[in-house]
Amino acid sequence: MKRITYLTCTLIVACMVAAMVGWSMAAGNFLIPVIAIPLGIIVIIACQAQVDIVIADERENRIRGRAALRTLEVVAIGGAIAAIILYSYIVSIPLTPIITGKLVITDDGRQSMTIAEYQPGSVPGPDTLVRSTTINDLSSMNESEAIAYSSYIREGFKENENRGLAGMTIGGCLAAMLAIFGAFYLYYDRKY
Amino acid sequence: MKNRIKVLRAERDMTQEQLAELVGVTRNTIISMEKNKYSPSLKLAYRIAHLFGVGIDDVFTYEEEIDGPSGDDE
Repeated sequence: MKRITYLTCTLIVACMVAAMVGWSMAAGNFLIPVIAIPLGIIVIIACQAQVDIVIADERENRIRGRAALRTLEVVAIGGAIAAIILYSYIVSIPLTPIITGKLVITDDGRQSMTIAEYQPGSVPGPDTLVRSTTINDLSSMNESEAIAYSSYIREGFKENENRGLAGMTIGGCLAAMLAIFGAFYLYYDRKY
Repeated sequence: MKNRIKVLRAERDMTQEQLAELVGVTRNTIISMEKNKYSPSLKLAYRIAHLFGVGIDDVFTYEEEIDGPSGDDE
């Protein structure tokens, strides 16, 4: 078995074991991981035993090392840019939607409120209106109207919050990756 | 880093594949070295010199220039 075949087998086995463990956790069956994980390890060890002896070619190792370093640099820089851009949707005012509320007192004394959402960074107007809702009588606002009102405000920011969350996830992954790199760097620094 | 691997190999009627096998690298590494695109490690350089039965200076010549992938100054 060639090394690439072995790596492919390892990846497939790891994916299958992860899928089984995930499914069993969701289903509440804790016996499957107990069987699947050792079985996966056995299969990987069996595959490893079949791998041909690979010549440790120094040029190839050096190329891989350099390619890995370049990849790390590109991912770190690109990831940092993406994380900051996405996170800015939460903290940057021009990127957040504009939500306005207009209170109108009708002739019969009712307080009617219209809430409108406009495109981020735009001047509120009919062209930039995303959506609006009206609560006919504020004093007799029922529970469902109150829920609709709060969810309306919430949903206005939801898209930005999702982007911000994606940004924070990318940032977290990036930090973890750099921490792992640092750990390996220290390890090899001590070794050599 | 310049080298005389191709000449020494030709003198001994040795193929790139054979040399690669004897020194424990791939043929691509031999090709890259012969084209002066890759400077080997000291260990590999000694192994090659030892295989040809000559001194390391007879195989490799150091010249001040920008090296290839192994020059660490890409």
